[in-house]
Amino acid sequence: MSASHTVQGLETYILFTVAGTTYALPSRDVRHMEMLEGVTRVPNAPPFVDGVVFSRGQVVPVVNLRVRFGFERAPYDLRTRLIVVQSAGRVIGLVVDSAREFVNIPPTAIQPPHEALAGMSGRYVEGVASVGERLILTLDLSRILKFAENLSMDLSS
Amino acid sequence: MATRTKKTNGRANGAAHYAIDVGLLQERAGQVTSSAHGIARIADAVFEGSEVQLRSLDEAAGGLHQMATSLTQTATQAESAAVSTEELASSVNELSVSIEQVSTNTVNLASAINETAAAAQETAASIQSVTTTTHDMATAAQQVATSITQMARSTKSVSEDTDSFASAVTETAAAIEEMSRSIAGVADNANDLAVSAEETSSSINEMAASIEEVGAMTESLGAAVDQNSSSIEQLSRSIQSVAENGRRITDVVTSAATSATQMERTTSSVAGLAKQADELSRRVGRDAEEGGAAVQKSMQGIGRLRDSMVQSATVMREMGKRTSEISSIVDTINLIAERTNLLSLNASIEAARAGDAGRGFAVVAEEIRNLADRSAKATADIAGIIKALQEVAQDAVQATNDGLRVADDSASLAETGASGLKKILTGVGEITSVVGEVSRAADEQRQASQSVVTGVAATAEQARLVAAATTEQARAASQIVQATAQMRKVAQEVAKATAEQGNAARDIIKAAQGTTRTAALVRKASAEQATSAANITQAADSMRKGAASTSRALAEQASAADQIAKSAGALNTMIASVNKAMSEQSTAVTQISNTMSGMRRDAEMAARALSEQSRALKEMTGATQNSAAQIKRITQANREHSTVSGKMVEQLREVRRITDRNARDVSETKGSTAELLKHAADLVGLVGRGANGARGGSNGRG
Repeated sequence: MSASHTVQGLETYILFTVAGTTYALPSRDVRHMEMLEGVTRVPNAPPFVDGVVFSRGQVVPVVNLRVRFGFERAPYDLRTRLIVVQSAGRVIGLVVDSAREFVNIPPTAIQPPHEALAGMSGRYVEGVASVGERLILTLDLSRILKFAENLSMDLSS
Repeated sequence: MATRTKKTNGRANGAAHYAIDVGLLQERAGQVTSSAHGIARIADAVFEGSEVQLRSLDEAAGGLHQMATSLTQTATQAESAAVSTEELASSVNELSVSIEQVSTNTVNLASAINETAAAAQETAASIQSVTTTTHDMATAAQQVATSITQMARSTKSVSEDTDSFASAVTETAAAIEEMSRSIAGVADNANDLAVSAEETSSSINEMAASIEEVGAMTESLGAAVDQNSSSIEQLSRSIQSVAENGRRITDVVTSAATSATQMERTTSSVAGLAKQADELSRRVGRDAEEGGAAVQKSMQGIGRLRDSMVQSATVMREMGKRTSEISSIVDTINLIAERTNLLSLNASIEAARAGDAGRGFAVVAEEIRNLADRSAKATADIAGIIKALQEVAQDAVQATNDGLRVADDSASLAETGASGLKKILTGVGEITSVVGEVSRAADEQRQASQSVVTGVAATAEQARLVAAATTEQARAASQIVQATAQMRKVAQEVAKATAEQGNAARDIIKAAQGTTRTAALVRKASAEQATSAANITQAADSMRKGAASTSRALAEQASAADQIAKSAGALNTMIASVNKAMSEQSTAVTQISNTMSGMRRDAEMAARALSEQSRALKEMTGATQNSAAQIKRITQANREHSTVSGKMVEQLREVRRITDRNARDVSETKGSTAELLKHAADLVGLVGRGANGARGGSNGRG
């Protein structure tokens, strides 16, 4: 699996936007993507958790990246996407403003994040890639999921 | 010779006595004649004055009557007034010429009267000398008497019996008888004279009474003339005030003419303005009608606009609806595109997982995603366009609604405008009719004011002429006042003359009484003369007896005869001087009569001139009548004048009546005077005959 995602030496990424910024997730971390239609809210959930959805026979917790990244909440619309990711056997849904692109980014195009940036959001950002004229932040999914570990386990259990 | 002397003595004695009486008689007769002449002169003067007064009165009465008439008729035809005024002026000129003639005649008359006075003085001097001569003659006669007495004494001694003496005595007796007869005739004449003198006296008394009456009448005449004169002065003042008023009227009318001209100008400009206003209002009416039509058209246009706006609003709303439909379709398409994108992404993820086997699938997924993206992009564009379209449609609907509201407002405004225009049209119609009326009225006014201007000009002319006529009237009135003053003067002179007449009458009465006394004396003297004649006849008998002693006295007688001859010469001289004086007297009387005839001629000329004057005054009166005829309608103040004039006419009638009576009395006076003159002439003739008889007796003896 891993090998196919790096065919011809290129890593494929899903690009998505949250609060105007474009982020990239490696496509190998993404199980699939859905349009977000109904979210079942759960009691005593942290603020960044919108609730749970039932996807492909599995209950998936839904994490609002806007809230998680410290932006204000926005209502869902036609372009709102639920990116269902899996990491270390855990499946989580990430709510983003939109996700419409599937691109190849060469590793040379990715630079480590700036030290100043690393201090604040360095926990999630793996690097900064420039695709065409755009600056794209590549995310470290494991770090995103790390703080949601318990939650994921709680939810999966 | 002695007998003759004695006879002569007796006769001479009677002749001397007679001569004294004749002198007295002549003196009295002269006085009577001169007084009668004086009375005749005064009576003429009075008569002339009365005629003048009558004429003045006729003139004044006629003038006043006509003035009274004319005062009620004045103005109307100014031209006639001007012509009349010219006639009046020429008449006045004639009058002034005539008056100059009169004054010349009066100067002549004055000189004639002066001559008369000189002649009278001469006559008086002559009569004085006659008197002196008579005195001398009396003295001479006394001397003769003394001589004859001496002669008589010497005659006593003359021889008595002489045939020639006897025959002389017989002749003497016959002469004495003749003388006696003559004396008897003288006595008869003296009786006649006494009767005549009594008649004269009674007629003089009558005349005196008449003169007194005339005096009283003259006084009342004077009073009436005074009253008249004050009335005439009042009239003159009134006429002057009328003239003043006439001048004021002329001023007023002149200013009225100016005002009328201004009014005429103003009216003309008003008429012009009214015409302009008429045209303007007609134009405004046409404009208003055009405006009404335009408003109607614009109202129709607004209606159509409103309909189309409503239509377009409907269309817009329909379009909005369709756009919404399109928008929902676009949303659907967008959803499909998004799902397609999602599906392609998931396919890409699956293809990547499949590795090389999924490569072709990945490419397809990529193309599908591209298409989806393009359709999403297109739908986004469509959505943007539709959104813009919706906004535009919304704006259009809004604008259409606004337009509808505006159109409704416009429609209502247009309706208001249309109704306003209708009102304007109605008002303009009224204005047009009113302006037409104003224009017509202004035209009429202009015509009226033109006629007013003409009339006022005519009135001004009339008033001017009236003022001129009134001024002439005032002048005529002042002339009347002057004439009245003259009349008053004449009345005063008449009164004075009447007083003189009275004095003269009294003198005549005195003279007549003297004449009567003298006649009595003459009668008595005649009786004495008769007695003397008887005595003489007796003496002739005794003369015949004493003829013897006559011769003795003849010597003395011769010397006495010489003396007698001397005395007789002196007597003759005296008598010659008396005759001369008498002839002088007669010459003077002739002169007086010549002068009197000259005076009469002058008086006739004066009368003619006065008649000319009267004719001129009648013409003037006619002219004044014309003037007066035109003044009638002017002023009512003239009625007052008429009243005053009526009163004055009454007074003048009174005066005239008095003057008529006066004239009658003067005529009577003249008649009496003529009679008196006749009596005086008779007296003079008698006296002359007596004197001739006396002289004839004396001559017969010689």
